[in-house]
Amino acid sequence: MLKPILLVEDNPHDLELTLLALERSQLANEVVIKRDGAEALDYLLRRGDYQSRDDGNPAVLLLDLKLPKIDGLEVLKTVRETPALRSIPVVMLTSSREEPDLLRAYEMGVNAYVVKPVEFKDFVAAISDLGIFWAVLNEPPPGSLRLKRTRRIEELDD
Amino acid sequence: MTARYPEALAAAVERCADEPIHIPGSIQPHGFMLVLDTDLRVLQASQNVDEWIGLSPQNLLGQPLQELIAEPTLPARLAALAEDDRNPFHLGDVSFARGTAGGTSFALMAHRHDGQLIVELERASNPGDAYGNLYPLMRTFVTQLHAAEDLQSICQLAVLELHRITGFGRIKAYRFDEEGNGQVLAEHAEPGYSSYLGHHFPASDIPAQARRLYRENLIRVIPDASYQPSPLLPVINPASGAPLDLGFASLRSVSPVHLQYMRNMGTLASMSVSIVVRDRLWGLISCHNHEPRQVSHETRTACELLARILALQIDATETAAQALRKLELRRLTVRLLGGMADCDSVTEGFRSMPEVVLAFAAADGAAVVSADSCVSVGDAPADEQIMALAHWLGAHVPNQLFSSDNLQRDLPLLPELARHSAGVLAISISRLHAHYLIWFRRERVRTINWAGPPTKQQDEFSGALTPRNSFDTWREELRGYCAPWDDAEREGALELRSAVLGIVLRKAEEMAQLAGELRESNKELESFSYSVSHDLRAPLRHIAGYTELLGELEGDQLTERGKRFLGNIAEAARFAGTLVDNLLSFSQMGRSALHLSDVDLTALVDSIREEMRPDYQERQVEWRVEPMPVIVADAAFIHLVLRNLIENALKYSRTREQALIEVGASQQSGETVVYVRDNGVGFDMQYAGKLFGVFQRLHRMEQFEGTGIGLASVRRIVERHGGRVWAEGRLDQGAAFFFALPQLTYTTNLDDRKE
Repeated sequence: MLKPILLVEDNPHDLELTLLALERSQLANEVVIKRDGAEALDYLLRRGDYQSRDDGNPAVLLLDLKLPKIDGLEVLKTVRETPALRSIPVVMLTSSREEPDLLRAYEMGVNAYVVKPVEFKDFVAAISDLGIFWAVLNEPPPGSLRLKRTRRIEELDD
Repeated sequence: MTARYPEALAAAVERCADEPIHIPGSIQPHGFMLVLDTDLRVLQASQNVDEWIGLSPQNLLGQPLQELIAEPTLPARLAALAEDDRNPFHLGDVSFARGTAGGTSFALMAHRHDGQLIVELERASNPGDAYGNLYPLMRTFVTQLHAAEDLQSICQLAVLELHRITGFGRIKAYRFDEEGNGQVLAEHAEPGYSSYLGHHFPASDIPAQARRLYRENLIRVIPDASYQPSPLLPVINPASGAPLDLGFASLRSVSPVHLQYMRNMGTLASMSVSIVVRDRLWGLISCHNHEPRQVSHETRTACELLARILALQIDATETAAQALRKLELRRLTVRLLGGMADCDSVTEGFRSMPEVVLAFAAADGAAVVSADSCVSVGDAPADEQIMALAHWLGAHVPNQLFSSDNLQRDLPLLPELARHSAGVLAISISRLHAHYLIWFRRERVRTINWAGPPTKQQDEFSGALTPRNSFDTWREELRGYCAPWDDAEREGALELRSAVLGIVLRKAEEMAQLAGELRESNKELESFSYSVSHDLRAPLRHIAGYTELLGELEGDQLTERGKRFLGNIAEAARFAGTLVDNLLSFSQMGRSALHLSDVDLTALVDSIREEMRPDYQERQVEWRVEPMPVIVADAAFIHLVLRNLIENALKYSRTREQALIEVGASQQSGETVVYVRDNGVGFDMQYAGKLFGVFQRLHRMEQFEGTGIGLASVRRIVERHGGRVWAEGRLDQGAAFFFALPQLTYTTNLDDRKE
């Protein structure tokens, strides 16, 4: 059983497009969606509504930098400071490369970041590269880093 | 003036100036002298008392005055003589109780000097003379003086009045210049007397110690130059143990050199009246007579009074003239400052009113030198000469003002300058830099009519001076001089200086404030553009994403036209996204700190060519990359600059079958200048100034794509390094882009450089 991917994103359009990108990169992992930093931390720390969720950390945490209530950096900080969560790979999603907070994210031990490109195709490529690396593969087999994206988009409508 | 003398002669003049004329040890015999101690006993007497009153001097020594002169009030009057007024004072007419001159009345003049009481006696004159002299002096002369307008006519009046009072054959009034040379301003000469009006007399004619006496003792008479001096007995004053100081005695015997001088001039009697203005020997009225001529003490008093009135009037006239000139200067200063303030620039104000600038210092040419530029008006020397002068001033003249009326003499290092202008007046107009306002005056060749060659002659045998024996006009041409700069001009220039400094300072303050405000608004603008770009990016992403998905999912149901529209939407969103990205990185450049490191320009260009290979590998591109230096700069930013320029070069040369791209650098005067040149479509130079502005494009989108931010980024980066950018091009003839970076070190404070 693959561990889920935890996606924290407040913007509904970005959320939908990210989900589509994940879909297209043929990741089999379940995607758990949280819409703000507080909810994400409750989930990770199994408190509040998530007291009873199954044990286990997500395979990767895709974290938008700007989030309502508790922002991405704060979530990252807590993850890195909590022994049980420390080993979760965290990928920062950001609107631009010029984000001043990006540097701080690096200082706090983010594993990677994705600048959400305007071009959707580029976004899909970036997400699948990172998703595959962090969520699926310990060591990517030679030549197979980028999976063929052949799934029909209609399936998403289900 | 000493430059004119041969060395031996100069030494002789020196000796002449050393002659102790105040202690000749003898008197002129037209009167006699008694020197008294505190008990009014005779200490010294002139030998000629014998001739005057029939008493031998030896017999007089030690005698109380009261026994000689039966005048009961005399001791009290002598005691009342002020110690600080050293001019002989007429204490009345007396007669001697002893000796052979019983019935004769003598005018007694007394003064104290150097602790001694000196009594001089001359034959008394008719008391009516004094009234006859003084009354017209007061009545007409003073009234006329007030009406006289210039120094010349004032002096002329004085000369005529003196002639009336004294009857001397020739009376001339002359003024001394700064070097002590006298020029005859006014003259009255009877027939038979040669005229010296307008002539100059060299300073050496009157030795320094004589000038000093002239200044303190306003009147000096030599009634007969062929007199036999009468010695004082004993020679040494018993009270002081030294020869008696006769500096203020009217009978003081004359230097033999001077007597010879008089005989050479053919005059046996002379009188000089000093014109002392504000403690300075302004001039002298010199009276001569072929024949010996006596001048009574009353007449002398009248002359002295005249001299004092004359000096006051001269002072008033000069002061008024100076005040007028100052007023004029101030008026011109105000006009100049007004011009400078209107133009908001010292240089521009200067340039806009050349006639005022020149009138200010009555100059032929003028220049303002600031930083490395020079603006001149009127007949000024060549710019290089002016700059050389400014450098010299900066290095050698710490003062606020420099003036010279003979550059050949004062500045032999710059002969070219001296060839153009004989004189210069310069004021520094910056406390920090070598910035100057400079006026130039052309040479004014002066012909001076000396009364005889302006040198004394030396006795061939003794080496002593013999006064010259020719007073024939001797012309001298003075070259290399301009009209002298006067005090009012110098003071006016200094006033102008402080006012200009005020303008410059105010301007600097305004600039600093403006720069501060600009920095603030720039910061705001940057943060604004950052947040706008950032927030714009998300919706653009969504438009692009959904457009693509729509095309994928519903494309089949769209007409061809619909699909084209969809394509346009996607393309527009993509372009807007790029635009926003570029804007964002542009705003970033203003904010982030520079990280200085060594940047190998050659290696950088190589790596950029490598990066961009996909863009041009299908094309024919000839690269000419010269070896370039390693500089200190922000590597990432310089990478961006070169990438932008090379990208442009490739882009705008893509219509060429064979593109040629040249990159190189040179180091000169503290700067590294880098160029990127192409043989592409070029541009019209009239737009050269617009190239580096944000969103400035010279081409339509279909011709050459682009966001119009690339060159703006280049400029911003270069300027943040304290450098500058420029471009050269011709339509369809290629373009060259340059950027110059100052040679930085790791300790260069770039924020300061931005000011």
